[in-house]
Amino acid sequence: MWEVMFWPIVACVLLPWLLVYLGLHVVQRGIIFIDIAMAQMAALGICLAVLFRLDLESWTAFAIALGFTLIGAIIFSVTGRRANQIPQEAVIGISYVVAAAAAVLLLSRAAEGDEEIKNMLVGNILLVTPREVWERFALFAAVGIFHFVFRRNFLLVSFDRNGAYKQGLRVRWWDFFFYAVFGLVVTSFVRIAGVLLVFSYLIVPAVCGINLARRIANRLLIGWFIALLGGIGGLFLSYWWDLPSGAAIVCTFGALLILISLVALWQHRRRRSVGMLHSQ
Amino acid sequence: MKNTLFTLFATVACAFSAEAKLNVVATLPDFGSLAREIGLDKVNVTVLAKPTEDPHFVDARPSFVVSLRNADVLIDGGAELELGWLPPLLQNARNPKIEIGKPGRVQASQGVRLMNVPANVTRAAGDVHALGNPHFTVDPIIAKAIAEHIAQSLSALDPANAAFYEANYKKFETTINAKLQEWGAAMLPFRGQHVVAYHDSWPYFAHRFGLNIDIFLEPKPGIPPSPSHLAEVIAQMKAQHIKAIIVEPFHDRRIAEKVASATGAKVVDFSQFPGGLPGTDSYVKLIDMLVARLAAALK
Repeated sequence: MWEVMFWPIVACVLLPWLLVYLGLHVVQRGIIFIDIAMAQMAALGICLAVLFRLDLESWTAFAIALGFTLIGAIIFSVTGRRANQIPQEAVIGISYVVAAAAAVLLLSRAAEGDEEIKNMLVGNILLVTPREVWERFALFAAVGIFHFVFRRNFLLVSFDRNGAYKQGLRVRWWDFFFYAVFGLVVTSFVRIAGVLLVFSYLIVPAVCGINLARRIANRLLIGWFIALLGGIGGLFLSYWWDLPSGAAIVCTFGALLILISLVALWQHRRRRSVGMLHSQ
Repeated sequence: MKNTLFTLFATVACAFSAEAKLNVVATLPDFGSLAREIGLDKVNVTVLAKPTEDPHFVDARPSFVVSLRNADVLIDGGAELELGWLPPLLQNARNPKIEIGKPGRVQASQGVRLMNVPANVTRAAGDVHALGNPHFTVDPIIAKAIAEHIAQSLSALDPANAAFYEANYKKFETTINAKLQEWGAAMLPFRGQHVVAYHDSWPYFAHRFGLNIDIFLEPKPGIPPSPSHLAEVIAQMKAQHIKAIIVEPFHDRRIAEKVASATGAKVVDFSQFPGGLPGTDSYVKLIDMLVARLAAALK
């Protein structure tokens, strides 16, 4: 069991903390599907590399994928205005479908089967290698430090946009930094874990945290706990019942969220009944 | 008393022989089916891919790694069909017994002359396999060669049962030789006829039975059918009066049906793998069914 599940477990312990933190931003900004759109943009970059017959392991191919992620970052930071008629989620959805459709068109000319794109978007956490884990850990640590150093600005832009404008912050630039770094993290994690798992790690722990706590630090702690529980629990279930690992983790997250929501509901009702007693 | 002793002895013998059973892992169901013909009750056969799954894309589960880790023998195609999913599994399993070159590794393509080897591999030709077309087991003569290769490997690893494996191979060989007459006779009236297939999985079958399966719904291997290509296929089918379109369980049958309704041809459900069609749990039954279905459609 350990020989098979060791590195997946290491990956689920060492990597998701950053996703949970970024997830708090994403949920607060109401841009739930940004990760899938970003991953698809990067995949479009890889399609282009396929079309030009580049070696996909090469730096050029990586640079093209990164370039497309940055284009995504520009699109999302330019369209995220202060008061906008068009919700950000619409732009994200449009970017996703256009990138996905463009990938289909490019591939039909490139004549390479969709294997590469499948690999890009359907990573398998079960087959993660030590090298992949350490590379991503290094990247995530760097991004974590970047976010920590500029945490005041990043938090202000996500959680109090009006405040950020009032303080004269260059909101659009900070948005761009946020999206650019976010795209890098998501794209690298998607490759080893797949789109479904990245989405779950971003959104479920954040929603659980928001359900149970008000302060950001507490939300983060709850989120980290949920991420660990769901990841490791899901891997165990996948081993015992021989299920595809990524899907097992995602469904474990779903079950955890239902459980947490019930707890939150119960907390809420108790608070209300206590409040009513006091008012009598 | 005598009875009890006998039971005890039998139990111990069973336990011992269960202990000694070779663990054979096959990547694909066709190899698994051949391994069962040769090993019968003396081996445990585990097949990774399901018969209805596309052999190019197989979803890995934890048990795959466990099986490969515990394997005494691994049978794979050896012609890049499993390229997308087997190498990472092997890397995780780290089992020296099934490394290439060891008696525990049977690469089915060894000794097989692969068809359609590309002169130069470019991405422009589609999702082609550099070593040649890897869908070779559907040729019964190649299946015999693979079975013999499996028998040799099992005999080398389990010399005590070598005669048993050898006898089972001989039996399989005799069955196939007899069946080849039957299958050949059933296909004889259709010699030289053209058949359309969704994917280029049937050159070996076509070659063995004198058919031409050389028009495909996919414009290039692995590339989904485009409207203009389908229009071209429909025109060709009408011009040559082609009567049958072969699809496999993991292909989009609606595309074949659309082409069939435009040309009056029949859609024939085929499978490269025993178990991929109902009632085909062995290799011989599978080829029986393929021959019968195609003959019915071409009549």
